[in-house]
Amino acid sequence: MTQRRIASLALAAGLLLYPLLVSDLNGAAFLQDVGATLLLAAISASAWNIVGGYAGQVSVGHAMFFGAGAYVPLLVFDLWQWPPLVGLPLGIAVAVLLALAVGTPTLRLQGHYFSMATIAVAELIRIVVSNWDLLGASIGIQGPAIARGWWDLTFRSSVPYYYIFLGVLAVLLYATYRMERSRFGYYLRAIRAGERAAASLGVPVRHTKLMALAMSAAFTAVAGSLYAFKLGYVNPEAGLGILVSVQMVITAALGGAGRLTGPLIGAIVLVPLQSATNSWFGGSGTGLTYILYGGIILLLARFEPGGLIVLWQHLRRIGARKPEVAHAA
Amino acid sequence: MLLEAEQVSRSFGGFLALSDASLAVEAGEIVGLIGPNGAGKSTFFNCIAGDLAPSGGRIRFDGVDVTYAAAERHAELGIGRTFQVPATFEELSILDNVMVGAFLRHHRRADAEAKAMEMLRLTGLDRMAGQRAGILGTPGRKRLGIARVLATEPRLLLLDEALAGLTPSEIQQAIELVRRIHATGITIVIVEHIMEVILSLAARVLVFNQGRTIAQGKPQDVVNDPKVIEAYLGHHHKRRRARAPA
Repeated sequence: MTQRRIASLALAAGLLLYPLLVSDLNGAAFLQDVGATLLLAAISASAWNIVGGYAGQVSVGHAMFFGAGAYVPLLVFDLWQWPPLVGLPLGIAVAVLLALAVGTPTLRLQGHYFSMATIAVAELIRIVVSNWDLLGASIGIQGPAIARGWWDLTFRSSVPYYYIFLGVLAVLLYATYRMERSRFGYYLRAIRAGERAAASLGVPVRHTKLMALAMSAAFTAVAGSLYAFKLGYVNPEAGLGILVSVQMVITAALGGAGRLTGPLIGAIVLVPLQSATNSWFGGSGTGLTYILYGGIILLLARFEPGGLIVLWQHLRRIGARKPEVAHAA
Repeated sequence: MLLEAEQVSRSFGGFLALSDASLAVEAGEIVGLIGPNGAGKSTFFNCIAGDLAPSGGRIRFDGVDVTYAAAERHAELGIGRTFQVPATFEELSILDNVMVGAFLRHHRRADAEAKAMEMLRLTGLDRMAGQRAGILGTPGRKRLGIARVLATEPRLLLLDEALAGLTPSEIQQAIELVRRIHATGITIVIVEHIMEVILSLAARVLVFNQGRTIAQGKPQDVVNDPKVIEAYLGHHHKRRRARAPA
């Protein structure tokens, strides 16, 4: 337990100091940008983790919530020149309403059928948005090019974004930690382990799943908004594409779905890998991302469905030569 | 009456799995449901537990109509059930399995944990509380299933073959456990194949065959009922028995 605490503190300190540590290196701006991207991926994947990990409802359509969070702030700027930040709560509201509307019918589906339904809905939304002139159709919409004040959240450097993202991630992980230990968290894990048994113990299965989806959608929308603040621009592919959803699933699953720090660990491994392939292979790198994701899915499914956290626990057990204690009652 | 089921029927497509089954249970009773495989006792059981909606009939629990209520509503009202295949939450710890049940009436974590530990002591699993539930064998899982449902503080407990697959000595322990649970004032309806269990526990049994209840009464009387013997052993048995020297 104490060892775990030390590891968490070291991780937190590392994340807190990272932009300063790399500031003197060659390509500091690039490394800081990778850091911000990493945190954003960790936020999205942690948000997904609430419903996809803890509740075991593997949504592959979370891009719709991400897109709502990304589009709405830029839309309020585009239409009325409001600061994008004003659009953040609106984006969350749209995502939550979307979650309730989509979740009510689709959460009745089990397993892969739910995943497939979420893909279908997200793709539909992407296609509609791609043809909707108000939202810039396939070209997308833009935020403020030059900051009119700090409240436009338009900075040249990645460092302010890095710390904003870190703050949001801390809040999200703390909320998840509290959830893990609450009745709601227990109910989510029970649902993941077996809906019929959970219901027999008084767990309101459908309601709980819907609440988890709404909560997850709200935080995913925040991630989308943060993305829009940083990039100042969103198009259907970047905001609503299936890769956005898949990245959340892979990141969380790689680290460990249904575990507090799983998505963060997944992001720490995955994002630098992605940035490396992208910068080595230039524009042709996008195709490689798919190959990378496919490879990770294959390895996870074959060797360690529990992700890196479980793999680490196994390795440590082997290292300590401590056999798993197995009593049979 | 704590539980009143009147003329409950259930069909699957064209197959009538259960027709016109009725059962009234007083608070404090232990009632057994027996019958050969496919007799409809599990279907009846699942209708009472809220897992299956009946195609016809009416079920009331303590005056409340629960015929079409969802499974979680049954738990809330005080009907608890175990599963034939224990449906353990394998990835969760043994304590956490029971806490899921305890959270129904105790919303604070500390209270739920205290309640869960109490149930683990009752079922003899307390020393393994922190272990993953997946490591348990069949007897342990059955105990865990009972601990978990008891944590929801039911007034009526439905046991679905809670003792199947146990060795004779484990069965004796399990019978003791059921007696202890009954002594705390919980009414019990038990589905069981093993006659020994029914004879030693239930004061009253209901016998199912081909979707109907064919006999009802004290276990000693019921096992001597020709219709019951026929249901279990077929009519050849009767002839052979008649021919056999006394």
